[in-house]
Amino acid sequence: MSENKNIKNLKEFSTSADRFEGANLLCPGCAHSIIVREVLNATNDDLILSASTGCLEVCTAVYPYTSWDASWIHIGFENGSTAVAGAESMYKALKTKGRLKQPDRNPKFVSFAGDGASYDIGFQWISGCMERGHNIMHVVLDNEVYANTGGQRSSSTPIGSSATTSPEGRRSYGEKKNKKDMVSIMASHNIPYSAQVAPNKWKDMVKKIQHGFSVDGPVFINAVSPCTTEWKFDPKDTMHLADLATDSLVFPLYEIIDGHELNITYRPKTVVPVEEYLAAQGRFKHLFKDEYKHLIKEWQERVDAKWAQLNRREEARV
Amino acid sequence: MAFDKMELQKIEVWDGNRAAAQALRQSQVDVVAAYPITPSTPIVEGYAKFLADGYIEGEFVMVESEHAAMSGCIGAAAAGGRVATATSSQGYALMVETLYQASGMRLPIVLNVVNRALAAPLNVNGDHSDMYLGRDSGWIQLDAYCPQDAYDLNFIAFKVSEDHDVRLPCMVHQDGFITSHTAQGVHTLTDDEAYGFVGEYQPMNDMLDFEHPVTHGVQTEEDWHFEHKARQHNDLMTKVMPKIQTAFDDFEKLSGRKYNIVESYDMSDADVCVVCMGTSVETAREVATEMRAKGIKAGVVGLRVIRPFPFFEIAEALKGVKAIAALDRSSPNGAAGMLFNELAGALFNTGTKALLSGYVYGLGGRDLTKAHLVSLFTELQKNVDAGKVTTPLQQFIGVRGPKLSFL
Amino acid sequence: MANKGWDEFEIGAMLRTFEGKIDDIAGTLQENRAYSQNSSFVASVADWRIIKPVFNKDFCIDCQFCWVYCPDISIISRDKKMIGIDMDHCKGCGICVEVCPTNPKSLMMFPEKADEETELAAWPAKNEEKK
Repeated sequence: MSENKNIKNLKEFSTSADRFEGANLLCPGCAHSIIVREVLNATNDDLILSASTGCLEVCTAVYPYTSWDASWIHIGFENGSTAVAGAESMYKALKTKGRLKQPDRNPKFVSFAGDGASYDIGFQWISGCMERGHNIMHVVLDNEVYANTGGQRSSSTPIGSSATTSPEGRRSYGEKKNKKDMVSIMASHNIPYSAQVAPNKWKDMVKKIQHGFSVDGPVFINAVSPCTTEWKFDPKDTMHLADLATDSLVFPLYEIIDGHELNITYRPKTVVPVEEYLAAQGRFKHLFKDEYKHLIKEWQERVDAKWAQLNRREEARV
Repeated sequence: MAFDKMELQKIEVWDGNRAAAQALRQSQVDVVAAYPITPSTPIVEGYAKFLADGYIEGEFVMVESEHAAMSGCIGAAAAGGRVATATSSQGYALMVETLYQASGMRLPIVLNVVNRALAAPLNVNGDHSDMYLGRDSGWIQLDAYCPQDAYDLNFIAFKVSEDHDVRLPCMVHQDGFITSHTAQGVHTLTDDEAYGFVGEYQPMNDMLDFEHPVTHGVQTEEDWHFEHKARQHNDLMTKVMPKIQTAFDDFEKLSGRKYNIVESYDMSDADVCVVCMGTSVETAREVATEMRAKGIKAGVVGLRVIRPFPFFEIAEALKGVKAIAALDRSSPNGAAGMLFNELAGALFNTGTKALLSGYVYGLGGRDLTKAHLVSLFTELQKNVDAGKVTTPLQQFIGVRGPKLSFL
Repeated sequence: MANKGWDEFEIGAMLRTFEGKIDDIAGTLQENRAYSQNSSFVASVADWRIIKPVFNKDFCIDCQFCWVYCPDISIISRDKKMIGIDMDHCKGCGICVEVCPTNPKSLMMFPEKADEETELAAWPAKNEEKK
C-alpha cells in the first residue's frame, strides 16, 4: 500500500496538481466537480476512473475533448462500477503475470456516478462490485434527482421535493417517498469502508477518501452534491447549500467501518433548523404554503430521528 | 510462468463447450467476467476450474448478470489484456447494450455464443434467435458447426480481434446442445502450439499504461458520431476479411485444418443447394450426398463468417447453381429471413438466374431431420425443372399443424 | 479542433489527454504538462460568463477556500499562494466570492465587460458591520 498524501491543511492541499480540467461543460456552480477534485486530489497515486452516464460524464468527455488527466472510461448508465471492477481485475491479472508496463505503481480505481446511476439503474452492478470485494471506490454524486435528463425523481429524491415526474401541483406536494438509505445498504455488504461526505467539509472528505484508498476492498462514498439547476438556487450559493445540508443534519457526515463500526465525523456547533435548508431551495418552495407546512415539521422530526439513530449506533457500535 | 501446462491427447473427446474452454485456457485469457446461462455455462466453468487447478493465471469474475459480464469484459479489455466470456439466449439479450459499446469502443473481446432460442415462451434449446439479435452489433461473428470448429475458431477469433488493424470484438457461435453438449473427437493443439498461434496480447490504448492516459467511451453528437460509426463499419467491411483469410491460412499450416470464409460442399456442379449455419450444415451435407445418388445434383453452402457478411464470397460460391434455399433458424417475425435477405442482396445485381426460396426451421431446438432436407432438395429440383419458384417464398418446416407458408 | 473526416481520427473515439509520455501527472503542475488538443484544458468557456470575478491581492490571506471550492479549476494557487484566476476556464459562478472570508473580500464579481483596473481602484473598504 502506498503512503497517504500528506494534507494537514488547506494551504498544503492547494499545492495539488489537479487531474481534472476546466472547460468541462458542467453548469456554473456545479458541486460535482468540487467533489471530484477533492477526491482526486486526496492522493498522488495513479488513477483509473470511470463515470456512469449522467451530468459528470456528458460534461467531461464530449468529443473531441476530455477533462480527465487519468485514464477514464464510460460505458453506460448502470455499469460504471463494473467497468472499473473489470479494469481492476485486469490489473490484478497482469500483476500476477508480470505484464504491467509500470509495475511499481499503486493505482486507485474510482467510479463516479450520480444517484440515479447508483440508487436506481446501477444498484445491482454496484451491489455486485461491493459483494465481490473489488479494490475499488464508488463515489455517488448525490444531487437527489436525474439532473442530466432534466429533473426526474430518483429513489434518492426526498419527500416534498418537486421533480418533473413527481411535480408539486394543486393536489400534490411533490415526491411522496423518502430517500433510500444507500450508505446503510452498502455497509450491509460488510465492506471495509462506507461514508457520507460533503464538499464543504473538505478535510472530512479528504480524510475519508484517504481512509478508503488505504483499505483493501470495496469502498462506498455518498457525496451530497447541491444542484444549482434542479434544487433551484443561485450558482454562487453552492457551498452555502452544502453548509445548510450538513449543519441542518439533513446530510449527516459519518462513516461505517467493516459494516458495523459507525462514527459520526462532524457535529455542527450550531444545528440549523431543517426549515432553513428547505427554504433556500426552489424545489421545496411549495412546502411553505399553509396546507403543507406540516410537512416541514415532519421533515425536522425525521432528521432528528435519523440523527438520534446514528448517535445510538455510534454509541452501541452496531 | 506460475501455471502448469496440460498434456492433451492428439484427439480428445470433447463437446463444444469443453473445446471452447480449452481454447480459452490455451490462449491464456487474462480476465473472464461471466454469468451462467444454459447451455453456455460449462465454457466459463471450465476456465474457473482451470484457474482453480493452476492450469492458467488470470482473473475469473463471476458477476451478477450478463450485462455486468460484458461490462466487466469491456473494462478489462480497455485496461489492456486478453478477455473472453460466454453466453446464450436471454443472457445475450441482456448483453445487447454492451455489445454495441464493446464494438464502438473497438475493444477486442471474444464472446462464445452458444446459440439458444429467445423467450417467450422460455426455451433452453438451440436456434439462432440470439445470433440474429446481435447481427448489427458491430462484432465479427464466426460460426462453428461442431466441437472441432468451436475449438479452432476461438484461436482465430483472438488472432483477428486483437490485431491492431482490426480491434473489433469477435463472437464464436455454436449450436446449443447439439454442438455444445455433444462430445466428438477433437484434434488438439499442444499448449505451446496454440499460444504460439494466438500470440502474446499486444496492448493498444490501454488504460493501465499510466504514462499515456486515455479516455474511453466519449460522447459524440451529430458533428462526430456519424464519422465514428462510418470508421467502424469501414474497418469491419474492409480490414477484417483479409485478416481472417490470413489467420485461416496460418492455422491450416499449423493444424492441417482448412477453414474458408464461405464453406462450399459439392458445389462445383450443383444445380440445387441449401445455405445454412451451425450443425445444419453437417446434416445438409449428408443429405446432399444422398440426393446425388438419386440423381439430384445437390450442394451445401455454410457461412463460416456471418459478420462481416461475405457478400462477394457467397455470390461466388452460388455462381453456377440454379435453385437456392436459405435456411433461417430464427423467426423473422414479420419479414423474410435474415439469410434470405442477405442472399437476395448479394445475388440481385449478379448475372445469376438462380431461384431463391426461404425456409424457417428448427425453432427452439426442433430437429432438422434428413427427411426435411430430402423434401427440401426435391422442391428445389422442382423449381429448377419448372424454371420458377413453385412454392411460397417462405415456408416453415418441421412445425405441427396446417402447412405454414408466406410470401 | 477542426472537424475531421471519418478516416482521420483514432478508432473507438479514444482520446489522449497528453502529447506523448507523462511520467508523474500528480507531481506535474498544469503549466508543465504537454496537453494534447483533446484536453479541455486547451479549450475555453470564457464566453459562458455574464459576470466575472476580480481578484484583489491586497486583502488576500491565501486561505485557499476559493481554490478548494472552485468547480472549474480556475483559481491558480502556486506554493500555497493564490496568484490569479484562469479566465479561460472560469464560468463566473461566483462561489469564490461567497467563500472568501476577508473583509473586504479579496474577490468580487463584476459585469463581464467591467474594467479590472477601474474596479480595483474603487474596491470597497472594510465593512465594520461584518463579523
